[in-house]
Amino acid sequence: MLLHTLNRSPRSPVLDQVLAAMGPEDRLLLIEDAVIGALPAHQGRFESVTGRVYALHEDLASRGLLALCDEAVRVVDIAGFVALTEECERTVSWY
Amino acid sequence: MRYAILLLDAPYTSQAAHSALRFTRALLAGGHVVDGVFFYHDGVHNAARLAAPPQDEPHLVDAWAELGREHAVPLQVCIAAALRRGLLDEKEAARHGKQGFSVEPPFELTGLGQLVDLGLRCDRLITFGP
Repeated sequence: MLLHTLNRSPRSPVLDQVLAAMGPEDRLLLIEDAVIGALPAHQGRFESVTGRVYALHEDLASRGLLALCDEAVRVVDIAGFVALTEECERTVSWY
Repeated sequence: MRYAILLLDAPYTSQAAHSALRFTRALLAGGHVVDGVFFYHDGVHNAARLAAPPQDEPHLVDAWAELGREHAVPLQVCIAAALRRGLLDEKEAARHGKQGFSVEPPFELTGLGQLVDLGLRCDRLITFGP
């Protein structure tokens, strides 16, 4: 099981590359500008990985998006980010 | 667990340096060992000792240096990426006949082999890109 991190908005073609590369158990953590993907309007982009999408609390908060997050996205803080890297065998960073 | 951090972008250019610093602090707070932070590509600018950001902004260079000193975390700067960007420690400045120097301890200029070594030695290598 791998952790993938993404720091680009859901409009970026990099998201397509992440989704194509993700294995059946892999998890996706949205950080920096990627947290925009946690909004309900973008959930269609993440259908193939539903339930395995996380978003970083600090980056949501700094963009004023914390209260607007879709309930399908799991919000983790920086300690939760660390925990995800512990649980996953390796971390792949997409940018 | 043993962690290594790879930082690829300059301070104040993107969020990468802020993210890497916050993550590294969280690792240390969580009781992990950080075997090294490796600064590569534009990430070498995080070692610029002459950086003087406005006083109401986080001083990322000082923040890395403080973290390195307080927690004995090696701050390794790719020497090839650094030299071509004008980031030289005292020894390299003398060797290249330059006045002044722009990198000082706890940052250390080192080779790319150190990054390979970190990757092999650590349980986790986490990259923060531009």
